[in-house]
Amino acid sequence: MGDLTPEVQRIAGNLLSQGQVDLVLGWAKAPSNGQSVPACIRQAEQAGRLIFDQYCIHNLATGLLDHRDSSERIGIFVKGCDSRGIVRLAEDGQFPRERLYIVGICCPGMKDQAACDRAASGLFGETAGDSELAGKCRQCAHPNPVIYDELLGDQQPPFLNDVRFSDVQRIEAMGIGERGEFFSQIFSKCIRCYACRNICVACNCRQCIFDETRPQWVGRSTSAADNMMYHAFRAMHVAGRCVECGECERVCPAGLPLMLLNRKLIKDIDQLFGPYEAGLSLEEGARPPLSSYRVEDPDPFVR
Amino acid sequence: MPPDCTCQNPLVPSIVKVVEIVDETYDIKNFYVATDQGIPFEVLPGQLCMVSLLPVGEGMFSVTWQAEDHLQFAIRRVGLLTDALHEIEIGQELGIRGPYGNGFPVRQCEGKNMLFIGGGIGLAPLRSFIKHCFRRRKRYGQIQVLYGARSVADLCFKQELSVEWPAQPETRIFTTIDRPEADWDGKVAFVPAYLEELAPDPENTVAVVCGPPIMITLALKSLQKLGFKDDQVITTLEGRMKCGIGKCGRCNIGSEYICLDGPVFDLAHLRHLPPEW
Amino acid sequence: MKSFAKSAITVVLDRLAEQTRTYVPMRDGVTSNFSPWSERRASDLALNSLNTTFSPKGIVFPQTERLYDFAVDGQRADISGTHAETGENILFGARACDRKAFAALDQVFLRRGYVDTNYKARRDGLTVIGRDCLQPGPFCFCDSMGVDPMGADGADVLLHETTEEFGWEPLTEKGQALTLRLNDLLTEKELIRPESAGCRLEVNVAGLPEKLRGMFDSPVWDELSTFCMNCGVCTYICPVCHCFDIQVMNNGSSGCRFRCWDSCMYPEYNLMAGGHNPREGKRDRFRNRFLHKLEFFQERYGSFGCSGCGRCLVTCPHSLNMVLVINRLGEVKVDAS
Repeated sequence: MGDLTPEVQRIAGNLLSQGQVDLVLGWAKAPSNGQSVPACIRQAEQAGRLIFDQYCIHNLATGLLDHRDSSERIGIFVKGCDSRGIVRLAEDGQFPRERLYIVGICCPGMKDQAACDRAASGLFGETAGDSELAGKCRQCAHPNPVIYDELLGDQQPPFLNDVRFSDVQRIEAMGIGERGEFFSQIFSKCIRCYACRNICVACNCRQCIFDETRPQWVGRSTSAADNMMYHAFRAMHVAGRCVECGECERVCPAGLPLMLLNRKLIKDIDQLFGPYEAGLSLEEGARPPLSSYRVEDPDPFVR
Repeated sequence: MPPDCTCQNPLVPSIVKVVEIVDETYDIKNFYVATDQGIPFEVLPGQLCMVSLLPVGEGMFSVTWQAEDHLQFAIRRVGLLTDALHEIEIGQELGIRGPYGNGFPVRQCEGKNMLFIGGGIGLAPLRSFIKHCFRRRKRYGQIQVLYGARSVADLCFKQELSVEWPAQPETRIFTTIDRPEADWDGKVAFVPAYLEELAPDPENTVAVVCGPPIMITLALKSLQKLGFKDDQVITTLEGRMKCGIGKCGRCNIGSEYICLDGPVFDLAHLRHLPPEW
Repeated sequence: MKSFAKSAITVVLDRLAEQTRTYVPMRDGVTSNFSPWSERRASDLALNSLNTTFSPKGIVFPQTERLYDFAVDGQRADISGTHAETGENILFGARACDRKAFAALDQVFLRRGYVDTNYKARRDGLTVIGRDCLQPGPFCFCDSMGVDPMGADGADVLLHETTEEFGWEPLTEKGQALTLRLNDLLTEKELIRPESAGCRLEVNVAGLPEKLRGMFDSPVWDELSTFCMNCGVCTYICPVCHCFDIQVMNNGSSGCRFRCWDSCMYPEYNLMAGGHNPREGKRDRFRNRFLHKLEFFQERYGSFGCSGCGRCLVTCPHSLNMVLVINRLGEVKVDAS
């Protein structure tokens, strides 16, 4: 991949100077330590701050939710997964396509700065060396943006370095009891920081059920029952809408394999109601499978 | 400063019984609580208590009066806990812990003219101070109470406002509602506007303000306009509280905690703190 | 100085754990934590790690902690079974930053009027075995926050680390008591204590609390909080963050009241019954968190609410962290008037 930073800066500068957008969401280098971080610029003169490199791992689409009540037009840089996030928001009626100027970037695969840092800091974490692809990119089937006004970079092949859903098959091979034990074990380590929810582009409800106090649906204690309730609810809530950006897993401080449950649901929905992959195209009136009903929908699970 | 209470877990309530419930308005009830021995502990005017209805929840309320043998809490129905409290009957046992916070500076105010400014349920904490003054009438100068509510139906402590308090010597009570009503021939005005109209003399006077945050903000401005100095104005604040003992973090305003360093602040002090209330 | 060979570590830990639950840094999958030592988890022992993913604050301030039980019967209510764990624990291998954090928690829970019974019970029962920090990591900045990585503050025993040995320096009565228990495992030896390499990462906090007093309304808070997602990661991995909620676990006619960690990042943290929220926007919550650590904590307790452990630097999903914030705040020009 050639260095796309000059292109990114030129496009952002033009969008702002020509008044095509009011702000641009992209990535910049943090002055304190040189990390790639999300950035929001409003003046063409700031375009020089923007960059694109292999550490631009953050899905910026979720950041659009902060602007859903404004009428500002927004320029946004997206990788493949991020672009599916934009479809997610538009399809869920949370952000209109018309307010966006989307600059797609064919994604060469990202590295996880935080995971590298954790390894370097002596804190445990994934020991992703500098050359390794981030965990969330290793199962990526769509590195190229699916929706854009302008496209940068060369088309990339999928990164799937494994049979798709191989991890899910491992779960499916388990008996019910074993599976329950497996997930209880995982979720017992959850600290309920809600980072997975807050970073999730499919978690776009204005009032989340887990914040609701009247009634309080899920207890605040970090007990096995409450943790399981939280993760099961969330997985079912994003079922059919998860765009597989893997951000939940990336940000989890406890290192929980959160995409496992999501991928199991993706696989089931694809088989039961598909073929279906969430957020691959934006069509007028299209609804995710669990948000629509057809008489011929299979229901072998209803007994 | 609160006592160092190492003897008993300050987060564990003791049990009191509801001995009387008075309907003040359609959404405010005054709960009288006591143990078999009388009051569970001494509470100063303006102090707070954590009242819990098991298993529903726990909430911080200012004491609206400490009588001889019971404590009174006037509670408006606004949420989960208060909804449930409004359903209970006499005889119900409640958990209580406290008292928390500093309370009103009742001693420092002796010899002063008192101007009480309240809005809605904000009269509840003021009432403890007002009644305190009446019990020791000679120690305080002229007493004025300016009280407003959204409507006639929202006025609480009506009997005291209209009969008992006006009968006290050197006492004037001004009551107002926000919008005109058919059978109301009294004042119709927002509290801050009425305050400016009444223009009380700041000379040797202490103003005590309590009400919804927006009313407090505007009333403080009006008092300033009338010539009240910052150290002549005190207010009592509310915040979301869980522990009551300055540990759980949430009721901070700058480096101070409402539950511990407040809830009563004078304006001179409040001006040093961020406007987050 | 008394010492034991590093190769004898499991023998020493076995001896300590024989009588007292002994928390040591342990691997737990891709993370690490201070967990009770047991021989069968010996392969998870992570004494070579720098800081654990999660701080040891949970030992004295558990994420979920039962306060008391209750029972209701008609109008009757009973409160019984108040819980305050009085048992003894040992924390083995705490570095200066985490011990500094304990000192900050002590300020909150044990000073200023009330003493928190549950915290005090756990804290009194804890013996802290500290260790020298010879090689602070690339994200450590404890010395900028006034912490000496080789200091003895907050330790009952301090371990001095050399290539082959751990020197054992008891500093308090609690430390002496442990020394007696280990006496036959300790040998007297001349140890040359290496110097710490010191922190490479520096922040300048000189005059910051005073400066922040005039920065409450600065637009820098909008800028800094732009990509904060208001999740609770930073507050939960922070060794100093101490906010908690008190909640009910209700089984119908009985249950318990417990407290659990809470985060000032959550919207409902300040939400009052009736709907008023004094910190409604994420800017407000973000600002309060950093002012609390850098200004309010200093004003109230005389130290920063940050020990420079660096955990937030490698955990925030959007790389917003203490160092970035301090640096940016330092750049902002404040009108002297």
